[in-house]
This record gives sequence, structure tokens and C-alpha cells, in this order.
Amino acid sequence: MKERVKTDMGSLAATLDFDAELMLRVKEGDGASFTILLEKHRLPVIHFLYRMVQNQGVAEELAQEVFLRVYRSRESYEPTAKFTTWLFRIATHLALNSLRDGKNQRLEERLDDDSSGAPVRQVTDKKPSVEQYMVNQARLDEVRRAVATLPEKQRAAVLMHKYEEMEYSQIAKVLNCSESAVKSLLFRAYETLRALLAHMA
Amino acid sequence: MRAQIEQHLSACPACRKFAANQRTVWQALDSWEPAEVSIDFDRKLYQRIEQQVTWWTRLTRPLNPLFRNAVPIAAAAGLVMVACFLMNRPATAPPVTPSEESAVVETLQPEQVETALEDMETLREFSHLVRPDSAEPKM
Repeated sequence: MKERVKTDMGSLAATLDFDAELMLRVKEGDGASFTILLEKHRLPVIHFLYRMVQNQGVAEELAQEVFLRVYRSRESYEPTAKFTTWLFRIATHLALNSLRDGKNQRLEERLDDDSSGAPVRQVTDKKPSVEQYMVNQARLDEVRRAVATLPEKQRAAVLMHKYEEMEYSQIAKVLNCSESAVKSLLFRAYETLRALLAHMA
Repeated sequence: MRAQIEQHLSACPACRKFAANQRTVWQALDSWEPAEVSIDFDRKLYQRIEQQVTWWTRLTRPLNPLFRNAVPIAAAAGLVMVACFLMNRPATAPPVTPSEESAVVETLQPEQVETALEDMETLREFSHLVRPDSAEPKM
């Protein structure tokens, strides 16, 4: 019976995604599978958190907590949804809590702080002039400020949609809301961003 | 579909402006790259995972293989013990010995003895009245 349940779980995971299968192996005590999951999802999670909280140190701290929670939950893990949905649900939850906890002091600090460590993509020249560097910094700062003005849920929805290329249904599961609510969040968020960033064309 | 949209955009300035602005937003967001991740991220994470392991787990970890086998061994030993007990059990039940409580003779008061004797006398007279032909009741 137990074997059958295990097999059913395994096939369910396989139909869902390979990550869920890896997580089931972690559940059975396979540490190597956890390392594979970490390798695969480390950057997307950290980048998402960085864009949410706009502080590299805080983002890495939160990402540590995300993977720690994943590891801690291994014994109770059930592949009822895509692994990334579960992963980003944890990440979003932690990011929203962090923003609510230290919103007033940290957000202002990091928006005024040029030492956030985020590089600017250099499209035309690998060694830009000082002027070009300053222009790029100003543009980047503007983008960061624009994203920071978005309400937390809108921000999370935009980041998952734009950078993680998630579908509406998956974003809805992460944010625990309906698909139409996600569409509404994205519509309003992009509306705000268009108003703030359209002049950058 | 794409052709239809492009056709509409070429004819509708408002939608053309909307699309251009949205493209600008995408490009602006594309330019925002996050910083490099600390090289010791994984080391710190595994360190924290290791800290999660409690002292009890550390203590019992070497004994885990033993504990894993202990349950079936204990169950088997229990079964053997029950079987031995059932096989060695005597066929007849041991004689019942009166409990100590039942052997205790209560100390009687003289009034109680007197009352009892009177009752017995009354009963004897009563049986004479019922059966006047015999002094003793026939069995």
C-alpha cells in the first residue's frame, strides 16, 4: 500500500515537473537532489527577491530562508503543484513580510543608495564613458524607483510575469488569488510603469 | 492575429502610442540586472541547514541503524515470549485459595450473639407450629 502511494506520488510528480520529482527524492533523504534544486533555482529566487526588496544583502538573506524552508519542509512535501509555484510562494511571502517589517526605513535608504551593487546592462560599449555610466545609472535608478512605487502585490506580479515569464495561472497560485485578479494587478502595474517610464524611449 | 494587430496599430494612433510606451517599459525593465550573488551563499546555506540538526539528532545519528532494526527485533522477541508463555502454561487452573479477607473472623459483641440465639429459638418454635408431628424437618 505504502509502495503504491509512493509510486502514485512519483508519477504525479513526473507529470507535474522534474523539480517536484527531485524534491520527492530530497524527501527520501537524497541530499544531492537538493543541491541540484539549489543550483537551478538559486539565481531566479535571489533575483526575484532583489527586485522585490531592492537590497542585495536582504535578498540573499531571504533567499537563504527560502531554501532553508524548502529543506525543512521536505518530509511533509507533497507534489500538489509545480515546484516553482511552491518555491515562489515561499519567496513572495518572505519578501512581502520583509517589506512590511522594514518598509519605511529601508526602502528610502536603498533608493538613495547607489551602492546597491546592481550592474547596468551595457548594450553598446563594454567600457562606457563616465557620462554614459552616469546616464545608465540615472536610468536604472528611475526604473528601480518606478518599480518601488508599485504596491507590493502588483510588484510581485510584474516581476514574476516579466522576469520569470510565469503564466497568469501560476502567478495566481503563487499570490493565492484568481487569474482575473492577476490580470487586473498586471494591468494596473503596467499602467503605472508606462506613466513613469514612457519618456525613456 | 499578429498581422491584424499590426494593421490596427498602423491605423490607430492611440493604440500605436500605447504599444510604443509598453515597449519602452519592457526595455527599461530589461536594463535592470541584479547584482552577482555572493560566492559563499551556498556555504552559508548549508551551514544553516547543518545548524538545524538538533543535538538529539547528532547524538542518535550513529545509533540510527540500530534503531531502524530495533523495532522488528523487539516485535519478534515479543512474539517468542508470548508463545513460550502459552506453551508452558499449566493445563488445569490452580486451586482457588481463600483470600485472607475471607478468613478473618469478625469479633462479635455479646448482644449480637444473644440476638442470634433468640432468633434461632424463634425459628425452631415456628417450625414446631408448622409441623407439630416431627421435631426435625424431613429432608
